[in-house]
Amino acid sequence: MKKKINLWAWFWIVLGALYFLVPLYGTFDFSLREKRGVLSLLAYQNVLADPRFRDSFTYSTLMALATIVVGLLLIVPTAYWVHLRLPQVRPLIEFITLMPFVVPAIVLVFGLIRIYSGPPLALTNSDQLTNFLLMCGYVIISMPYTYRSVDTGLRAIDVRTLTEAAQSLGAGWFTILFRIIFPNIRAALLSGAFLTFAIVIGEFTLASLLGRPAFGPYLVYMGNNRAYEPAALAIISLALTWAAIGLIQLLSHGRPGQEQVGGVH
Amino acid sequence: MAFLELTDIRKQFGQAVAVEDFNLKVDRGEFVSFLGPSGCGKTTTLRMIAGFEIPTEGSVTIDGADITNKAPNQRNVGMVFQSYALFPNMTVAQNIGFGLRIRKESESAIKERVDEMLALIHLEQKGHSYPSQLSGGQQQRVALARALAIRPQVLLLDEPLSALDAKIRVSLRAEIRAIQRKLGITAIYVTHDQEEALSISDRIVVMSQGHMEQVGTPFEIYNFPQTAFVASFVGTLNTTTAEVVDSAKGILQIDGARLATAEKLDGRQKGDKVTIAIRPERFSFASEQKKANVVDCRIENITFLGSIVRIQVSIGSGKYFMDTFNNPFLELPKVGDKDQVTCSREAVLVLKD
Repeated sequence: MKKKINLWAWFWIVLGALYFLVPLYGTFDFSLREKRGVLSLLAYQNVLADPRFRDSFTYSTLMALATIVVGLLLIVPTAYWVHLRLPQVRPLIEFITLMPFVVPAIVLVFGLIRIYSGPPLALTNSDQLTNFLLMCGYVIISMPYTYRSVDTGLRAIDVRTLTEAAQSLGAGWFTILFRIIFPNIRAALLSGAFLTFAIVIGEFTLASLLGRPAFGPYLVYMGNNRAYEPAALAIISLALTWAAIGLIQLLSHGRPGQEQVGGVH
Repeated sequence: MAFLELTDIRKQFGQAVAVEDFNLKVDRGEFVSFLGPSGCGKTTTLRMIAGFEIPTEGSVTIDGADITNKAPNQRNVGMVFQSYALFPNMTVAQNIGFGLRIRKESESAIKERVDEMLALIHLEQKGHSYPSQLSGGQQQRVALARALAIRPQVLLLDEPLSALDAKIRVSLRAEIRAIQRKLGITAIYVTHDQEEALSISDRIVVMSQGHMEQVGTPFEIYNFPQTAFVASFVGTLNTTTAEVVDSAKGILQIDGARLATAEKLDGRQKGDKVTIAIRPERFSFASEQKKANVVDCRIENITFLGSIVRIQVSIGSGKYFMDTFNNPFLELPKVGDKDQVTCSREAVLVLKD
């Protein structure tokens, strides 16, 4: 039987695609028009040749990696323990992790500066300590995404039984966490990690007010001072984000599927 | 001295008492089942042996050593779970070898033990497969091998066959029993399936509402239930209230008919009420010659169950089941017929209050 084509379905798909792709194409087209009358990659060359681009991008990448590691080390054991022993406090933890959506970044950064710019914890006195403070701020603002990813991953596995099985075989908490739990929520961890990466790379408020040379302030600086380069930067950022999503897909399909392939034999 | 001993165990969750007055001695190599309905405390008791729950009161000892407050990973106890609990990120061989790696055994020793276990469960070709590539029955055999690989002192099985279909359950329970016998390991098996418990165990602990109702061999539990709960939970049983007519001779009256029991009615007076139980298969149609324990009945219903035919009869105002082997060459009575049934004095059990 011939398959019936659902025209309405295609209509909505095309409409949705146009909604996203037309502005994107406009930005891309604009980024190619730095040379009058011809299409060129001059704006991209200017951006990539700018040492501030490389420096700020490298800085933000390193900050993102540090944020991912610290964030996951903080959130995975917390979410794991809540799943295992304290399911009754889950609503409270969810409320706490949603706070960054309620408290704007500007309030957060002024709070951090006010508390940590003087004794007993004067963290804004040196670049390294300020970097640490910025990273802590990034952990907070990425928390809603990281926690939800990890929580979803933990809900997909039988945390309690896997933990008890490992315990009955002699495993301690460290082994359970790093050899059983982390590998089995790998896709969720990667998802949380790349969301964190995407947030940190473009973040402006915290980095700007703490005076750190991050990629977000650089984007704003370029936007204020140049015409075509910001469009090129937007396209580069988008490409990097898509590359990150592609990496999630690639890395989360490295092992045989979790689904049952056989019935009861 | 018993190998595994649970003494005066009590477990309370908040105000709710999950297990109380639990005392059990298990010999080395014995296979003991905890049988009871959901919420009777059987899994909680098993989890206290595993160390996942700490008793509120009482003690657990294995081979003389008190392990009551030891962490689960400090006890040498293997556990098989209902949901298999295989590590999805590890192959079958890695799952089986996990406990040995934790114990820092050499790679050659681990490989040797894993191969031995794979041979024991007849899955030699599946060492490199992932759990998701196995059937439920195969996964549970791997879980059993993983629990046995560490040479545990006690093997705990928490309803390991519940998630499997009927045919696999029967074959796998025989396999579990054969492996347990072969290794001579002490095993505690939790189930709510009476047939499973009767077929696999050396002894059964029947539990209800956190208490031990009766401990005995499958033969004792089935044939001589001591409480109304055991009588009703294990197998099909006719129970009714009878009045003592003559305690010395064991004469009882039920629904206008008189039956004699072989059990002692010491301390009972004429007119006292007792609960009696008779297995359906202990009833039979009375022959012309049989005079004792014969009561008039009416055939109410006949159900064909394959090898058995279950006949419901009414004796006075009460209704009772009678099981008879299917014999295609014998004519069955018809519904509404009047007949006489009988049972031996030994078949009339007097249950504890």
